[in-house]
Amino acid sequence: MTQRPLRSVWDALTSLKLTIVCLALLMVLVIACTLAQTTMGTLGAVNAYIRSFLVWWDVPGTAWRIPVAPGGGLVGLVLTVNLVAAQARRLELSWRKAGLWIVHAGLILLFAGEFVTSFFQKETQLTIEQGQTLNYVESPRDLELAVIDVTDPAHDEVYAVPEARLARGGEVALPGSPVTLRVKGYLENAELANRGPSDPPSPANMGVGAMVSVRPLPPIASDEQLNRRAAFVEPVAGGRSYGTWLVSNALGAPQSFIHEGRTYVLSMRPQRQYLPYAITLKKFSHDVYPGTEIPKNFSSLVHLSNPSRGEERDVLIYMNQPLRYAGKAFYQASFGKGDTLSVLQVVENPGWLLPYISCVLVAAGLVLHFVVALRRSARRRQSAALLEAA
Amino acid sequence: MPGPSAQDRPTPPPARWRAALAASLLMSVAALAACSRGEVTHVQVPKEPAAAPAAGGAMGGGMGGGMGGGAPPGMAGDVPPPPSPAGGAAMKWTLPKGWAESRSGGMRYATLKAPIPGKLDVSVVVLPGPAGGELANVNRWRGQIGLGPVDDAQLASARQRVKSPAGPISLYDFTSEGQQKSRMVAGLLESGGNTWFVKMVGDAEPAARARPDFIRLVESLRFDPATP
Repeated sequence: MTQRPLRSVWDALTSLKLTIVCLALLMVLVIACTLAQTTMGTLGAVNAYIRSFLVWWDVPGTAWRIPVAPGGGLVGLVLTVNLVAAQARRLELSWRKAGLWIVHAGLILLFAGEFVTSFFQKETQLTIEQGQTLNYVESPRDLELAVIDVTDPAHDEVYAVPEARLARGGEVALPGSPVTLRVKGYLENAELANRGPSDPPSPANMGVGAMVSVRPLPPIASDEQLNRRAAFVEPVAGGRSYGTWLVSNALGAPQSFIHEGRTYVLSMRPQRQYLPYAITLKKFSHDVYPGTEIPKNFSSLVHLSNPSRGEERDVLIYMNQPLRYAGKAFYQASFGKGDTLSVLQVVENPGWLLPYISCVLVAAGLVLHFVVALRRSARRRQSAALLEAA
Repeated sequence: MPGPSAQDRPTPPPARWRAALAASLLMSVAALAACSRGEVTHVQVPKEPAAAPAAGGAMGGGMGGGMGGGAPPGMAGDVPPPPSPAGGAAMKWTLPKGWAESRSGGMRYATLKAPIPGKLDVSVVVLPGPAGGELANVNRWRGQIGLGPVDDAQLASARQRVKSPAGPISLYDFTSEGQQKSRMVAGLLESGGNTWFVKMVGDAEPAARARPDFIRLVESLRFDPATP
């Protein structure tokens, strides 16, 4: 009895129709994603349409989210399964078809590489001034609320609350510290201005926030601008409240409170990932073609220091010559502050080699298949010529 | 490439539905499992020598296409500007010998570093308008080093006047109670619709050593003549 359904699933999985449907869906997704970029920004659209299993639709005026189409991840997965199943079912295992086997293996690897990239690639950046040494990279778009215990003269204890956790609200315990944060409000994007006499009193009664009025704004979708996140938090420790503070990436002033002799600084900042090594920018160079303002080359001379591995070396990073170290690639991306500041884009992708390998496999497979077919047709011609001559 | 043949028997719809449903369920579970982020982290890091610079990079214009699809989005230069002070006047000062400065983002106009070991933070902050008024700001400062608020009369007696090319500055100097004393020396200047705060706060001992230089810095405050 169970034979039939299984059989029909197997038929469906190996059908050419499924391949065509998947390819068509991928085309539709690419077009939809391209159109959606105007409202969602590149990254938002790619995450919603391509790097997702389902495309969701927020029903206007409600809190409902309905899946309306398969996302690129689901279609890619089905296409991969379809390719593997069809190959297992139809492609004979013989030297004659070896080229096609290699081509298919290359394609499967290409899909696998995209999956690895979409789920595991992390992009951060290192914004560093000449002479500065940093041991962390920052997220270009995600923020965190850092509660930093700066009491010890030698080191800081950093408790980082990601913005996704702030957005959920409620009480956030900082494990390893006596402090709990009560999140009293969170705004995805806000306009901060000096509080005028007619403005309502601020929810913040401590720090600079008491003098700032906060107005919610719709989130910005553009890739070139950042949202100004704002949150109202109330640190509680040892049964006492330290007031309500406004934290935002638009506030530069450091804010702190003291609990039992320990000073805690509150700072809304780009999400940090601390590294087990440090990078110093020794010199940023920005060369132009002689007699013009046309940029010729940008390069950062950095010093890499990793005492745990006993490594101390200088590296020159310039266009298309990233520093690849400990699973990260540091690319020269931008600069500023009168050529004294360098911005490196830091990409961490465990699958970065897969597309290269798959391209080589597909090319090699096609060449092999072509050679085999050529030999076969040459033999046929030879025998045909012999027949005619006979 | 030999794809699946087109002569497949049509699959009965129920089975196809079931397969699709099972697949989408599996995917949803996988997707949910993939986003278990958003947890609080705790790390111990060495002290940072100075405040990190605010990203203020310019786009690498004309970098060619060699950047793997151009420079990444969300780069330096897109840090949201602080609520901008009116007029856009640029404040200048004479940096005491051995001091360093870095211009930073947000409401903090600049961060200064005195060449004195110990906990000490010197900042220049500008806010539009009266920024809550002198009494509220002074009480906020006092609160930062654990002192109680003062009233108008006590404010007047605590105020010192310092002259500078930028205008008269109200200067306050407070030291906290307790074993580990903190000290704050802070000046406040209203000019051109903005309020400028120049503040030094830290442990009492380094603050006392840096105070003469800090006062000289406050006395040197001036507006860039190029701007109104």
